[in-house]
Amino acid sequence: MPARPNSICISIAEFKIELFSEQKIDLEEGYLPFIDTNDSKVADFSIECIEGLPVELFNSDKLVFEAENEAQKFYSVYKHDQGHGFYIYNQQTVNDIQQIAVLDGSFCNWKIYAERRNGIFMPLRYPMGPIIMHYMTLKSNAVLMHASSAFDGTKARLFSGFSGAGKSTISMLWAKAGHQIINDDRLIIRKLEDGFYVYNTPMYYQDQPKKAPLSSVFLISHSPVNKIKQLNGAVAVSKVMAFSIQNNYDRQFIQSRIDLFAELCSKVSVYELGFVPDENVVKFVLNHEAGENK
Amino acid sequence: MEIQSLCKLKSKFVAREVGDELIIVPLSANVAQMNELFTLNETAKILWDHLDENSTFESLLRVITDNFDIDTTTASKDIELFLNKLDGLLKK
Repeated sequence: MPARPNSICISIAEFKIELFSEQKIDLEEGYLPFIDTNDSKVADFSIECIEGLPVELFNSDKLVFEAENEAQKFYSVYKHDQGHGFYIYNQQTVNDIQQIAVLDGSFCNWKIYAERRNGIFMPLRYPMGPIIMHYMTLKSNAVLMHASSAFDGTKARLFSGFSGAGKSTISMLWAKAGHQIINDDRLIIRKLEDGFYVYNTPMYYQDQPKKAPLSSVFLISHSPVNKIKQLNGAVAVSKVMAFSIQNNYDRQFIQSRIDLFAELCSKVSVYELGFVPDENVVKFVLNHEAGENK
Repeated sequence: MEIQSLCKLKSKFVAREVGDELIIVPLSANVAQMNELFTLNETAKILWDHLDENSTFESLLRVITDNFDIDTTTASKDIELFLNKLDGLLKK
């Protein structure tokens, strides 16, 4: 195959993604450490990036999902026979379309249409990147989570919860105790042959790609005292799944997600952890784990 | 809400067994219900499985009394609780 003009490869959670275009592609700063210059592996996903927005692309397609809150829209998803279409909205101007994207039925090949802004052609501009990561995980045994994670060199603990529950705070407390923060906001969990692993994803700042074996999941909340309770079975599955990124308009997506989380929760420990935001919570969790292993 | 109306709304959920329990997740066209995942215990799971267009309160009562060592009064209360919970979930 002839070399593609302006091709860049990035690897996220060990998935290789090739972006190519007639134009020079700009990436947000956080993607730069994820650039993959190793030519030996074929890309798992391809993204053709096209400058300019087409008109009336999905008019005859079915609107299946809208990601929005009271303040603004993030993206809309349309479904047609050959795949999915996406309108992604500008997060500064609220409702202007920033990108239009098309994903084929294999979930491997994207086309992203984006306009140049201030001379910069940036097809993965937020929130396009996380949308691609989410649909990438739907094709694989993986899931994108709102979570933080800390790694002690042997095992990674993942912390998830509602917005404001303390994901960043608790990961900082583990970092003070000498643990490595994998990420404090958005992670990919991936099932590999020998278990589940947690990976960081590109953020708005630069951080090196990281990977660690996942050993336990903590569903956190603030509490007047440190308290912990192990969860099992369907309760554990439903509570962990609630904090994953979900586009639940498709029956098949949901079924495969429940199956993945059921396997995850059978392999790693799941706890509800109410915590006081100081360094004692680290000792509290370690003591609890030590007691369980006696 | 009538049982038939609940049955119609049942198709808007995806149900999946995990162990002896059932997880039900609403099909959703937006992010509003993302944190709404529900688990049904063994009794509720059997009621869910038998909830169809021909269901009546009496048919559900028979299912419970046939499957569990339970008196009719307690079973009736369990079914009412289940239907009320389902009504609440499906209306969200």
